[in-house]
Amino acid sequence: MARNSVLVIGGGIAGIQASLELADKGLKVYLAEKSPSIGGRMAQLEKVFPVTDCSRDCVGTCWLCILMPRMIECYRHPNVELLTCTEVKEVKGKLGDFTVNIVKYPRYIEIDKCVNCGVCVEKCPVSVPNEFEMGLKDRKAIYIPFPQAIPDIVTIDAENCLHFKDDGCHICEEVCKAEAIDYEQEPEQLTLNVGAIIVATGFDLFNPSQIPAYGYGEFKNVMTAMEFERILSPFGPTEGRLQRPSDGREPNSVAFILCVGSRDKRFYSYCSSICCKYSLKMAVSIKQRNPKTEVYLFYTDLRAFGKGFQEFANEAKKIYGVKYVRSNPGELLEDATTRDLKIWYEDTTSGNIQNLAVNLAVLCNACIPREGTSELAKVLGIELDNFGFVKQLDEITHPVDTTVPGVFAAGYALGPRTGDIPDSITQASAAAERIFEVLHVKKKG
Amino acid sequence: MSAVDPNFMHEVANTPRGEGVLTCIQCGRCTSSCPVARFLDEHNPRRLMEMIILGFRPEVLHKLPWYCLSCFTCLDRCPQRGDVGEVVFAIRSLAAREGDIPDGVWEQAKNLLDTGRLIPTTGFMHRQRENLGLPEISTSAKDAETIMKRVGFDKMILKARTRKSEVTE
Amino acid sequence: MKYALFLGCLISAREPSYELYARRVLPHFGVELVDMPETTCCAPFSIQSLDYIGWLSIAARNLAIAEEMGLPVLAFCNDCYESLLMTSIILRDDPELQGKVNDVLSEVGKEYKGKVEVRHLLEVLHQDIGKKKIKDAVQRPLTQLKAATQIGCHAVRPKMIHPTLAVGLETLDELVTALGAETVDYEKKQVCCGGPLRGVNDEISRQMTRQKLQGMKRAGANCVVTVCPFCFIQFDLGQLEIKRALGEEYNLPVFHLVELLSLASGLEINDWKMRDHRTPIDPIYEKIKGS
Repeated sequence: MARNSVLVIGGGIAGIQASLELADKGLKVYLAEKSPSIGGRMAQLEKVFPVTDCSRDCVGTCWLCILMPRMIECYRHPNVELLTCTEVKEVKGKLGDFTVNIVKYPRYIEIDKCVNCGVCVEKCPVSVPNEFEMGLKDRKAIYIPFPQAIPDIVTIDAENCLHFKDDGCHICEEVCKAEAIDYEQEPEQLTLNVGAIIVATGFDLFNPSQIPAYGYGEFKNVMTAMEFERILSPFGPTEGRLQRPSDGREPNSVAFILCVGSRDKRFYSYCSSICCKYSLKMAVSIKQRNPKTEVYLFYTDLRAFGKGFQEFANEAKKIYGVKYVRSNPGELLEDATTRDLKIWYEDTTSGNIQNLAVNLAVLCNACIPREGTSELAKVLGIELDNFGFVKQLDEITHPVDTTVPGVFAAGYALGPRTGDIPDSITQASAAAERIFEVLHVKKKG
Repeated sequence: MSAVDPNFMHEVANTPRGEGVLTCIQCGRCTSSCPVARFLDEHNPRRLMEMIILGFRPEVLHKLPWYCLSCFTCLDRCPQRGDVGEVVFAIRSLAAREGDIPDGVWEQAKNLLDTGRLIPTTGFMHRQRENLGLPEISTSAKDAETIMKRVGFDKMILKARTRKSEVTE
Repeated sequence: MKYALFLGCLISAREPSYELYARRVLPHFGVELVDMPETTCCAPFSIQSLDYIGWLSIAARNLAIAEEMGLPVLAFCNDCYESLLMTSIILRDDPELQGKVNDVLSEVGKEYKGKVEVRHLLEVLHQDIGKKKIKDAVQRPLTQLKAATQIGCHAVRPKMIHPTLAVGLETLDELVTALGAETVDYEKKQVCCGGPLRGVNDEISRQMTRQKLQGMKRAGANCVVTVCPFCFIQFDLGQLEIKRALGEEYNLPVFHLVELLSLASGLEINDWKMRDHRTPIDPIYEKIKGS
């Protein structure tokens, strides 16, 4: 019955959290995710803050401890139906009785047969940049986006697959012992009947090549923060080895530049709210690997608010030796031989203009609305705020309600409210509670 | 050091092209980008904004506004539309009203008032143009004078001549 | 394509070659230049620094003349372009201010209605005429030239405030390349020439030009190409001044873009005197003439 079902759009931490809370209390949850795997942005991170209660010697990633169990639970939960490679196309109806038309794009894989042995991936002749790795590593046309993907089966990217381009290639079909390849699959249209919807579609990242003075896209050793996360991650393109793009050498000096695209009236005038925090985290992560590496943080205001962050910021400076420079640099130049970056900045505390040579520069770029948000908003009939994020019904009294009754939102889809992982989880919980409320559900269990 | 003028920031904000002083967050990107700042410690766009905000009126108005090239590199990079490259015009006009104008600028202004051009024409110029087959230059010195007098330009120039500026070496 | 030509003070007073070559070569590309009667100075930065309404009125009066002629304004000088363009944008966005300015203009019997387009020479060459037509017209490819181009500040900035500044950073390079020459990338290519401080602080003005010349030399350029007459003076006369003050020689002849356009288009150049040049151009000029 519709009243006992919910559609959650977006399989990141917020979507997963909401799904589990709803499912645990007896509701049927359809978790729709556009990409082949759930996990979202959190799965791309190395560590999360705070790390104080974990072993300092841990060489894994936080999300293995925190996110992974939840991902598996979603997959296994009897009340959660995981719909990956899925998009929401049409929504009609109202609170308590929404009719949703979704499209499940084909994986071209028989889900029950694939055992994720990896042979097809090995033999596939096509390589393309891996979106999960922010383009730093390639994947094949038949691929699994990251080792711990859920569902743990491969997908064929039909746009790049040779079979679909000129019908010549059958390699994966030939080598698959489980006979799981099925090129004939078609997109599947499904109709769902649900009582409420949660939008948890997360964020995209500002492209810093729109600020030519910073050299992103031109200078090899200028990267974005998310790209750097992938470098730090033990499952990433360098298996966690700190290497810089131009020559693969370990950088002796790294500079983080904050507010790239954020707090910028030319691009996104808001503060993305998480960059000061995550750059501190990454800075300390570098120092923990090699205390001798020089790490600089170029900031305008160090927004390390909330529990433990100011203390962490102080610790980063005093104990780990991270250097803070209160400055928004004007430009980066590249040394043609060494590919080092020269950062021109004014130390606003002293008024001195100087330049700093570093091996690697990391741009903390703005978190922006996910591509496709305005289309989804039209489908759902919800309003967006003037930045393109989901608009809250009321910022104070109804922070997870959208402007359509029965449709809620959680996580960065709402924009940089406070934006970090605990807040996304809080909002997801709140959205689940709101749904119990509006559907008058007696919570079982 | 004079006493601080708490109203100065608003005086500048209410002068045409000076509005940006209200939104500056002192991030320093302008100074990091300024080509003159790399040559001259005295010229620091961010600090200029800081001095306006803090109210150091005489220090700001004398000499400092005239180092700016108006290359507008800062304008393209300012994240908050503080636009120090525009604010410079506002403080220059305030300085000019008090008679503080560098010689080079003064010469150009005088020429505009007298001839309608920044660089007056000479007999040599006219002859050269004739020899090269270039058309005669047609300027309305009269209209320029009328307009400039209407906005009080002539008085400003006269006042400035009585105070020598020290920006030029 | 007909334009009301706004020459400005500097070209008409100091750079007759610029004007001469422009008048001779542009008609070959279908550009008709109509002289504007009774103009005044455009009111560049020195004047803008003194009085806001004064600036807008002087500039708007020139725009009103073009309006009376029913033609778009074509500016060669970056500073003229900036002054006239910004005036047109500011008054377009603020009708009350436009009223104030027209109040002043009424004293000289003029009215600015706000319907004039302001174009830069680079825009006209790059967009209205187009690289292809220019390339096709080349009869004498300027392959001897390794050009360090100086597009100047005010053709390209401030883009963030006035996105209508239609000239892209690569425009001048593309035009020079279309003429068969090579362009070089040099340090501080986008930095100002230092022109606006001439007469205000000559020391800094000279240093800024000098650092650019050093970059150009290091990058292997054998000439400089400018569009703005102010930049031209900085590099041309400037090299002489640097030689006198510091004893340094750079030997980089400076060309106006329209001079190169003329030379490349194969126009008869035997009778033309390239008079503007204080830094000698003879060695390269002879090579070009001979080819």
